[in-house]
Amino acid sequence: MRMPWNPQQPESCVPDSLVHSDDAIVVSGMRKSFGDFAAVDGIDFTVKKGEIFGFLGPNGSGKTTTIRMLCGVIEPTGGGARVMGYDICSQAELVRANIGYMSQKFSLFQDLTVDENLKFYAGIYGLSAAKFAERRGYILEMADLRGREKELTGNLSVGWKQRLALGCATIHEPRLIFLDEPTSGVDPTARRHFWELLNELAAGGVTLFVTTHYMDEATHCNRLAFIYRGRIIAAGTPHEIKDELARDTILQVEVADGEGALAALEGEPGIKEAYMQGAMLHVNVGERSAAEADLPSRLGSAGFRVLGTDRVEPTLEDAFVHLVGKQGGRA
Amino acid sequence: MSLRRIWLLIWKEFTQLLRDRSMIPLIFLLPVIQLVMFGYVIGTDVKDLRTAILDLDGTPASHRVVEGFTSSGYFVAVARPVDEAGVRKTLDGNTAQVAIIIPKGFADKVRRGQATKLSVIVDGSDAKTASVAQGYAGSIVANLSSKLYPSPAAKPGVTTPVGVDARVRVLFNPTMRAVNTMVPALLAFILMLSTQNLMSQSIVKERERGTLEQLFVTPIGRAEYLIGKLLPYVAVAIIQILVVFTVGTLWFKVPFSGSVAVLGVGLGLFMITALGQGMLVSLMSRTRYQAQQAGTFLMVPSMMLSGFVFPLSSMPAVLIPLTYLIPLRYILVIVRSNFVKGSGFVALWPQFLAMIIFSIAIFGLGLSRFQKKLND
Ligand SMILES: Nc1ncnc2c1ncn2[C@@H]1O[C@H](COP(=O)(O)OP(=O)(O)OP(=O)(O)O)[C@@H](O)[C@H]1O
Ligand SMILES: [Mg+2]
Repeated sequence: MRMPWNPQQPESCVPDSLVHSDDAIVVSGMRKSFGDFAAVDGIDFTVKKGEIFGFLGPNGSGKTTTIRMLCGVIEPTGGGARVMGYDICSQAELVRANIGYMSQKFSLFQDLTVDENLKFYAGIYGLSAAKFAERRGYILEMADLRGREKELTGNLSVGWKQRLALGCATIHEPRLIFLDEPTSGVDPTARRHFWELLNELAAGGVTLFVTTHYMDEATHCNRLAFIYRGRIIAAGTPHEIKDELARDTILQVEVADGEGALAALEGEPGIKEAYMQGAMLHVNVGERSAAEADLPSRLGSAGFRVLGTDRVEPTLEDAFVHLVGKQGGRA
Repeated sequence: MSLRRIWLLIWKEFTQLLRDRSMIPLIFLLPVIQLVMFGYVIGTDVKDLRTAILDLDGTPASHRVVEGFTSSGYFVAVARPVDEAGVRKTLDGNTAQVAIIIPKGFADKVRRGQATKLSVIVDGSDAKTASVAQGYAGSIVANLSSKLYPSPAAKPGVTTPVGVDARVRVLFNPTMRAVNTMVPALLAFILMLSTQNLMSQSIVKERERGTLEQLFVTPIGRAEYLIGKLLPYVAVAIIQILVVFTVGTLWFKVPFSGSVAVLGVGLGLFMITALGQGMLVSLMSRTRYQAQQAGTFLMVPSMMLSGFVFPLSSMPAVLIPLTYLIPLRYILVIVRSNFVKGSGFVALWPQFLAMIIFSIAIFGLGLSRFQKKLND
């Protein structure tokens, strides 16, 4: 006897009522534990279609783990998510067919040629020969790899590898692309070039989910979420996030021995936060202008040579340090 | 399941394999090198045994005996001590591996047709050499006695310090060529070595470079990935077996009296076991170097406790129970008996049963751990 086929809607952890037609990603109470350790500890957020969504957080905060769940590679241990309308647990295959993913290591086959990599991914996504020819031409153009089709991928320099990886990850023209630290280890010129490509994709209506360490890249994003120790500690537009610090005063201090000065300021009255940003010392003096006025003399009398003090607009990095500080930890 | 995706994975694997300069020699040369190494250096007939000769008789008849040994090519006279204490010294000092003592009055007894005693002392510290030397000495003495004694009535006895039965070997391997049992054993050994290593290396490489992660974000299913990964290495293993078989039978002239079906089924089951081991090794290792180490680590007990290098008969009793846990042990019995004696499924059913159990258990364990790892 044949089993009656039951066209049952797969069960989802995310109720339909939460999912709107213009949502690319809806995450609800999603968690992932490895043993006792919660790498992702119950997160909620929504990404709208067509957005560039920045997912920021320090090392080990759970960014990659979140992406792997959203791509249907690993199952959450609690909660769930809808990606392009598909449930990540019960419809993982549909999720995977409808997204592009570019990993932290831009995982091309180093021992295959440029063309072989393209051929492989085109075949995996089931592109027809005609479609492949069209996409191949487009990607070679986009990645600036015309004439180097027969070269081994391993011999390309990082910038080209990265663009080829983007090409392979998008060969099937997905409407949503996950990029996990796509610019790590790439020089600033190549980074700028890469972001131009991403902006082009976004202009074409593709949703981008990008994780990054670089705060300057976060300004390319329409919306941001900060993840810290598996929890989302802030979300909003870059502007909204900087507004967290709107009432605080940030001083940028140029001082000869930054690390020493930092240690001296730690826990001093009137100093809300102090940290290095590049070669500069950043000091958040809160709303107290008194501290602002006497900071140079305080440092001077402690034996530090202050070369200059400026009041600066809070950057995303300032906001980030502040947010992490509020959580009782350090970035 | 999509055939197109599986085919692409296989194509990709072979392209990578063929492009890796270190891979091709590994696939084709490694079996030949090992065959030559084990076949010639370890496995060939024990030759040129260092021999001490004490001829207390000093007659033409006793000279014939000495010549019978030295002209055989197996024994080389390296010392001529003058008394039994001297013989003892050469053996203790490792100057000689074998000593032959011809007693006084040997020629007289032969002439009178009486039984004579000839002592052949073999250094038993090298079990393998000892048993081979014993076999040679036995057949040389038998040959001599038929020449020295025209009538079959009386024969000299041979005394040897160890009491191993040499007839077993002589029966199935009359030329006593160790290579005849070494080549079939190498079929199984090389199969295990390369299947396990190539497979684990390739998986670990894929993980190291992050391509594994990438593949699982595409529509490739786990089963498709595994099939695409296993099939190329099955093909490689079959090629290697054919290389060893061809070189073994044509170059080393090892007679094959078995059946391809028995050999094929046995090696097939063993290959499944080896693929399972490859998966397990790849799960235990983060880097290719670690995988190499883990593979070698697994290989050592297999070599030592399976009867591949040391005969099971000379294994200390406490180790015997351990040998039952080594899959190589069973396949060695299968390939050797099939090669040399032509034994079939009926005679070898306990070994086949063990191979089936091992292949299901190890491959199943590898598969389930692999699946689990991918889910984390
Ligand atoms: N398979 C796993 N088993 C155990 N722990 C894991 C596993 N994967 C990740 N973790 C742990 O979970 C935490 C979050 O890891 P994750 O890779 O998501 O961080 P991340 O934000 O991507 O960091 P990075 O910026 O370094 O890439 C880390 O502490 C990591 O050690
Ligand atoms: Mg990461």
